[in-house]
Amino acid sequence: MQIELIENTNSITMVWTGKSTHRKPSEFISPILAETIRRSNASKKRIIMDFRRLEYMNSSTITPIIKILERAKRGATEITLLYNKSLKWQDLSFSALEIFETQDSKVEIKGVENHVPGNK
Amino acid sequence: MEQSLRLTVKPQWDEIESARIEVGVYLQSQGLMRDAVHSLTMVISELIENGIKYGSFTEPEDAIAVDIHRNGHTTTVEVINPLNIKDKAARNHLTKLDKTIQWIRGYQDPFEAYVEKLKEVSRRPLKDEESGLGLVRIAYEGKSILDFFVSEEGCLNVSAVSHFRGDNHEKD
Repeated sequence: MQIELIENTNSITMVWTGKSTHRKPSEFISPILAETIRRSNASKKRIIMDFRRLEYMNSSTITPIIKILERAKRGATEITLLYNKSLKWQDLSFSALEIFETQDSKVEIKGVENHVPGNK
Repeated sequence: MEQSLRLTVKPQWDEIESARIEVGVYLQSQGLMRDAVHSLTMVISELIENGIKYGSFTEPEDAIAVDIHRNGHTTTVEVINPLNIKDKAARNHLTKLDKTIQWIRGYQDPFEAYVEKLKEVSRRPLKDEESGLGLVRIAYEGKSILDFFVSEEGCLNVSAVSHFRGDNHEKD
């Protein structure tokens, strides 16, 4: 799996691609998430976590993601999570994360139906 | 007519992806659609991960066996690994496995169990790396009924039974 960081004027986008199958994916993911949150808090930019090109993730990969969403709910970090609604596994995995959404849109979970370039 | 596949997987993490690919090819050859193949390979991956984490592999030939049985719309996956029942950690794992499966069965809809587990895990400390989501994910995303037993030979057999009939998972 790869996570590409793209910083724009208003947001920092994390593009997740490939397959996440490591035994302890937190060791790879958590430092990147921590650094992205640090940058987001310093610049007041929204974090966009784009999973649309992710091909597979094991359950250990979900853990650091939901911990960050839960903390964002109670903190100042703004997060939008994007997933590919056309892929059934992504729809099942990520739509369940709507429980972390906040009414003020600080945390948003968005399923997108469109085609994602490069997706298998 | 029943169709089946047996794989032997070395208890090494890198072997999981090879098993996923092999199982995926087999399930596609059985006429299953993409979503069903993805669900079942996820189920198998999660069960093999548990087998590697909690199995006892003391002899060079010790391995994980993966059996897939297809009968009509029903797919049964069995993942079998040696277990040292005298080991306290192994006994703790069995107790936890039993409790988790019973807990999942307590929910009419596995989605509710999954959401409860998401909430619980999300509140754990960041440094706590244990997921605890694997089995409930199998029940929810894999639409599978889980069960297990320990054989007389001391092997743990965890099974997941899925039905794909009527939900557009399978080719007519």
